[in-house]
Amino acid sequence: MRIRTFGNFFKEAFVSLFRNRWMSLASIGAVAASLIVLGSFLLLSVNFDHILVDVESQVEITAYLEDTADDLDIARLKGELSGIYGVKEVNFVSKEDAMEEFKEQVGKELLEGLENPLPNSFRIKADNPQDVPEIAQKIEKVEKIDQVKYGKGIVEKLFNMIHWARIIGLVIMVVFAAISIFIIANTIRLTVFARRREINIMKYVGATDWFVRWPFLIEGMILGLIGSAISIGILGAGYNYIYDVVKLNVPMISLLPLSNFYDYGLAFLAVGMLIGALGSSFSIKRFLRV
Amino acid sequence: MIEMYGVSKAYNKGPVALKDINLKIEKGEFVFIVGPSGAGKSTMIKLLFREELPTKGQIFFCGKNITRMKPREIPYIRRRIGMVFQDFRLIPQKTVYENIAFALQVVEAPQREINRKVPQVLEMVGLPHKAKAMPGELSGGEQQRVALARAIVNNPDALVADEPTGNLDPDTSWEIMKLLSDINKRGTTIIVATHARELVDSMKKRVIQLDKGYIVRDEARGAYRK
Repeated sequence: MRIRTFGNFFKEAFVSLFRNRWMSLASIGAVAASLIVLGSFLLLSVNFDHILVDVESQVEITAYLEDTADDLDIARLKGELSGIYGVKEVNFVSKEDAMEEFKEQVGKELLEGLENPLPNSFRIKADNPQDVPEIAQKIEKVEKIDQVKYGKGIVEKLFNMIHWARIIGLVIMVVFAAISIFIIANTIRLTVFARRREINIMKYVGATDWFVRWPFLIEGMILGLIGSAISIGILGAGYNYIYDVVKLNVPMISLLPLSNFYDYGLAFLAVGMLIGALGSSFSIKRFLRV
Repeated sequence: MIEMYGVSKAYNKGPVALKDINLKIEKGEFVFIVGPSGAGKSTMIKLLFREELPTKGQIFFCGKNITRMKPREIPYIRRRIGMVFQDFRLIPQKTVYENIAFALQVVEAPQREINRKVPQVLEMVGLPHKAKAMPGELSGGEQQRVALARAIVNNPDALVADEPTGNLDPDTSWEIMKLLSDINKRGTTIIVATHARELVDSMKKRVIQLDKGYIVRDEARGAYRK
């Protein structure tokens, strides 16, 4: 295919976009609307994931030592605990450190003159937070370990919830992606249908299938591109607004800044183009059979 | 140039449209295909143009068996056959000039050739002053002349017309027939399926008459009916 021919395809595509401007606007609107829905879910789920990872990384095991454990025992225990399968990090917290921390939390004045009742302890993080209950069981059996705590029950429930939340989120996203493609294919089908005579004539004067297809593919890709650009603009502005509001009013939740999503923006442009191209090729298939 | 051997065509569930057709059309001939509605005229045209495949038999165009052609070869055979229809089939959003140029763009002709050929064929069909008009602004006869110009701009070996005067009044029909005759004189094979009795009678060309799917008459310099 000649380069000039491709130039003509672009010209044809733009001319047709403009000639069928209401249809084109409808397509762009459909692409933008579906991608906004898709994008909202994406932003929500990525942030949800981020918050979950935050929570996950905070899940740790505290192992209290018996008072009889001396420095040698501590060193030995640290090695032993580090050796347990799935343990990522073992930090020793001495009686004194624990007391300091406690004072910070409740206020110094209240604890003034009180003898330190806190034991030495280890704080243990797991590679995979889901392994926490199992690791805790193993630590309990280790000599000179008095007590193991890790928010039993809550951790299990939390992970169960996270698991289901992810599955449901994924299902919703797949459904919305399918709906988007369906809407777009249908809208572009209207454009193709409006030009079926032209396609018919092209086939009669000896155009190859690809020659017929290209302008529509380009048209579809342009529609998808414009639609996805609009969705990116709206999602970006909307997200920035929500980000600021949340930051001001709900300090406990830290949303990811917009700059984390620039890659998604590029992916969205590509997805928009792909959806447009797919939509047109589905729609044109039937009309090529002449 | 066009040969049919034992060609039959039956549509799904429908009646048999063509039965055991044997036919030879030489290069440069002018042939009318006549017969009542449903006799198989349109089917025959569709077979020639490889829009349909025969149920049985072989069809050759310029020595090439078009019934055994791969789908991707079809466009290239169609470039050698110009098509004209009863309803003109012009693109309403394109000007007369663009409609004709379109047939050349589709086969990726160089721009120089387009610039040269389009005015040439417009001159030939007598519409050089209508180049910038839209099809909707033209009369039926003028639209059909544009369609003719589009059909011949590629210098096809054959021109196939399905009821080209079906929507036109007698005077305009005559003009179209005269044009077809002129095109034929330049060496292009012409095949016209038609109902127009007076036209066929006065043209004195070869007439193939179809009835219920059979060739019932094939006569050089014939009339619509004996």
